[in-house]
Amino acid sequence: MNQFSKTRIARDENGERAVYEDIEVGSDLGELEWIVSPEDIDKQCLIDDDYHAMYVLGGPDGGRIAPPQIQYRPPRWLFSREYNVRGMFYKWGMENVKPILPGMTITVSGRISDKWIRNDREFVEFYSEGCDETGDVVFRTTRVHVLDALKRMTAREGEGIDSGIKAEHI
Amino acid sequence: MAIITNETPVGYTLPEIARQFSTDMFAAGGVKTLHNDQAAAEIEGLSGPIAVGPQVAALIFRMMRLCFEDGWFTGGRSDLVFRRQMGSNEFAVAKGVVKSIEPEENNLRIFCDVWVESGSGEKPIVGTCSGIVPC
Repeated sequence: MNQFSKTRIARDENGERAVYEDIEVGSDLGELEWIVSPEDIDKQCLIDDDYHAMYVLGGPDGGRIAPPQIQYRPPRWLFSREYNVRGMFYKWGMENVKPILPGMTITVSGRISDKWIRNDREFVEFYSEGCDETGDVVFRTTRVHVLDALKRMTAREGEGIDSGIKAEHI
Repeated sequence: MAIITNETPVGYTLPEIARQFSTDMFAAGGVKTLHNDQAAAEIEGLSGPIAVGPQVAALIFRMMRLCFEDGWFTGGRSDLVFRRQMGSNEFAVAKGVVKSIEPEENNLRIFCDVWVESGSGEKPIVGTCSGIVPC
């Protein structure tokens, strides 16, 4: 029988975990600059085991493009800079407005758009978009995360091994 | 070449994309996480390591890429719900069906019901994706 924890984690090596009350709807998550490298695209192909020729070799009319889901991590970095959340991923809305290209500098911005409690779980939603050097939107995304694997009435104590704050690379 | 065209009917079954996950796949960063380490998962209240949600969802995106190609890279949309976690050693297969077709500017937007099915037949990820095809 597994002896897994019955308490929510209070802190990890990157500090205190964010609690529901900390999360301010409407708050700005700031922005970051993400320069998409060929190595980023290689890594995304590897982790998704998807080696389409457009991702690896490029198309007849130009160079390579990135798998669109490469946009997952940068908005998560923004969120993690403000809130140390190590919970469950619940919803992922994504719009691929333009292809993501190697060498592109994408300015990623975001804000907390909602939070709610349902079935004794705490949910937080944030919106993020990425714009290229000309200011054109490249992608839009809305994410919902659940704070913690355990329900909100569970006591919060102890230190976790994992953290919501990760190294900022693809 | 994209599989879905302006002649694809509502009800068309999309090609399935399957993958057997393993805990090692989630350990590439060399850091212990709830995706690759039993103790890290248990301390969070989980019975064991869980798959990385976006990596499982990527099976759906691969299916969309296969179906739409350029019409996925430019104009593709997805709206996915992660209903339960999958274990880091589970088998997963992305499936889908064309649900509806709507005109959009000079193109068609094709909406698909999509989901990921586990080896036990559960659907841990469900949602909708759409892509663009020329009229």
